[in-house]
Amino acid sequence: MATIEVQRQLLPILDSPNQGARFYNPELPSSEPFVPGHRTCAGCGPSIQYRMTSKAAGDNTILVGPTGCMYVANSSYLCTPYNVPWAHTQIGSAGSFTAGVAAAYEAMIRKGKWKGAFPNIICEAGDGSASDIGLASISGALYRNHDCLIICYDNEQYANTGIQASSRTPYGGMTTFSPPGPEVPEGKKLFPKDLARMMAAGHPHCYVATASVGYPIDLMNKVRKGLNHKGAAYLMVYTPCQKGFVYETPRSIDLGRLVVECGLYPMWEWNPEKRAFDYSFRPASMRPVSEYLKLQGRFGHLHAEHIATLQKFANEQWRMMGVALPEALIHATDAKNLVNMAAAAEAEAVAQTL
Amino acid sequence: MAMLADVKKRTVRINGCVASAQAAKYADVDVIAAYPIRPYTATMMALAQMVANGELDAEYIVADSEHSQLSIAHGAASSGARVFTGSSGVGVQFAYELYSPISGSRMPVQMMIADRTLDPPGDFGSEHTDALSTRDMGWIMGWSCDAQEAFDNHLIAYRIGEDPRVLLPQMVCQDGFFVSHITGDVELPDTGQVKEFLPPYKHPYPLDPRHPVSHGPQIMPEQGPPLQLERARAMEESMAVIEEVHDEFAKIFGRRYDPWVEEFMTDDADVVFFMQGAHAVTARFAIQHMRDRGLKVGLVRLRTIRPYPTDRVKDVLSKFKAVGVIETNMGIGGVSSGGVLYAEVVAALYESQKRPLVLSFMAGMGGEAIVLKEFYWMTEKMLDAQKRGKIEKRTHWVGFEE
Repeated sequence: MATIEVQRQLLPILDSPNQGARFYNPELPSSEPFVPGHRTCAGCGPSIQYRMTSKAAGDNTILVGPTGCMYVANSSYLCTPYNVPWAHTQIGSAGSFTAGVAAAYEAMIRKGKWKGAFPNIICEAGDGSASDIGLASISGALYRNHDCLIICYDNEQYANTGIQASSRTPYGGMTTFSPPGPEVPEGKKLFPKDLARMMAAGHPHCYVATASVGYPIDLMNKVRKGLNHKGAAYLMVYTPCQKGFVYETPRSIDLGRLVVECGLYPMWEWNPEKRAFDYSFRPASMRPVSEYLKLQGRFGHLHAEHIATLQKFANEQWRMMGVALPEALIHATDAKNLVNMAAAAEAEAVAQTL
Repeated sequence: MAMLADVKKRTVRINGCVASAQAAKYADVDVIAAYPIRPYTATMMALAQMVANGELDAEYIVADSEHSQLSIAHGAASSGARVFTGSSGVGVQFAYELYSPISGSRMPVQMMIADRTLDPPGDFGSEHTDALSTRDMGWIMGWSCDAQEAFDNHLIAYRIGEDPRVLLPQMVCQDGFFVSHITGDVELPDTGQVKEFLPPYKHPYPLDPRHPVSHGPQIMPEQGPPLQLERARAMEESMAVIEEVHDEFAKIFGRRYDPWVEEFMTDDADVVFFMQGAHAVTARFAIQHMRDRGLKVGLVRLRTIRPYPTDRVKDVLSKFKAVGVIETNMGIGGVSSGGVLYAEVVAALYESQKRPLVLSFMAGMGGEAIVLKEFYWMTEKMLDAQKRGKIEKRTHWVGFEE
């Protein structure tokens, strides 16, 4: 008996004339696979990302949710925000469970046991799952090239368990596992794992990209590119957490832009056909890291020297993307030119009253 | 090719691992999740070759760990595919997190286990501790004692687990080496017989974009008990289905197994061995020898430990004066300070009006064969207990005592 050929979906790429600007795109799909009524915090970055991602994917989609905020806060028994099939899996099973779903559909369609176009299979893993406990399972899924999209919604910490450091928590980020104190004034001493780059380097046949909730059309297009790519794709998305970052709730999208403008979240795509990074994304402006840091309580303890360290880190990111550094950003790597966060916050408060 | 090619019934000489692979092929599995560990690996090697040869159309996935193997199986079964996976020893333990989520989401994943002793130190030999440590996770579980029974048990287990009245995962266990690597004659059925016996897998609520469902949402503590009760009931109510399926199997394939216990020379026995798995083959020989010498000894072999046939074990064992439980597993610091099977036996007998004396024998540990003279020694211990009317000692480490 003949094998049935697997038909795959092709989603159109949205028009995005100016990635850096805020605008409404009338082409946005009307489909809402992720609806309101869940228990995430106001301004929750991961859930804003979830809505955009699932909207970009449409209704022929299956979502996989390893343990994390997007499991615990979203899905309450007898009440679900998912309009498409969704399954919880273990925090370490992000890549493996998703691989199982993808393999099942390959076999079932091929053997005539399920009829229709291959569904979009999306895994929504937090950064704890993606960078720590589920890393091997995700690497396995990418390596084996299952037709799926694995998203790391990166809020730079284990937020659901009450704000603990993950290997994505930035240098200087205060969490309950990396608190500052007289002996450890900076709090988190380690720099974050360069997860997306590691995924691109190790699985060069995959579409890999970074994105941020600050740039919704760009995010949705990267989701669609990842889904259109036949085989595995990986997306790491900056999704601020107001509970863990300690900022004013309406500023989630602002932070999503600032983190990119400050060079702390390099935006790029890995092109698997050309085997090359695409660094063409340019934010509207480039700013010193202090502008991003001062909006967040988790950095409130940093001294000038720590801010200078973070500026050096950001400058390295710009250089990696081949961006020429303006004098001001080089100037900001010298602690003598900076003030402690407490003083900066005070200055910001004064500025707000002007 | 999409469907299994039709073949006629034939007898082949294969080992337990290959018999398991053959069963998976006959079940026309859709997704296979493999990861190497001895001794079960040979099953996955055989399946890889079948897929390479085009004998079986399945997604063959080499996972990055046993944890991933079970997660792949979970995801695939949740999507509506029939899945096959397996492991041995510490591999079974590496996947431990997944056992409860799989049975709790009521996914009839099938896992083949060829037992291996747990570390330390590295020991290839068979010991049932690997699978038995998961016995309360909601999986249907039982041991076969030879390659033919292993083949049959896989088909039987799929049929039971996938029954809409059951929907539970199954561990189909066989002793490492004593079954997995010992060849025997295995009758492979007509594909037509398998089609008649095992209908295609159809989960009532798969992850299907046309009928959206949410699997495994977060619950409040008060929502936990009803879900646990449902899972426990599914296991309890599977007992009727298990009996039904064994009848059906006998009708179609002509081999009849008692789903719960095999009794061997128990008719007028005073003392019996109670055990699971491959060492029962040696036990049968030993018992025949002892019968020739006039000793009234028999064998009760447990075929299904989950669900545990409490009443059946009680009724069967109440007939005897003494029962010797051959453990082949570790239950360190437990009821008998030996193995875990003792506790299951004694608990079943508690409600009986007529309770035999029960001894626990730590034998077959670390993959050691239980030799004939050890069976004779254990029989003497049982007969001695019967004569005195009490046990000298609850647990005996066989080979370490006079």
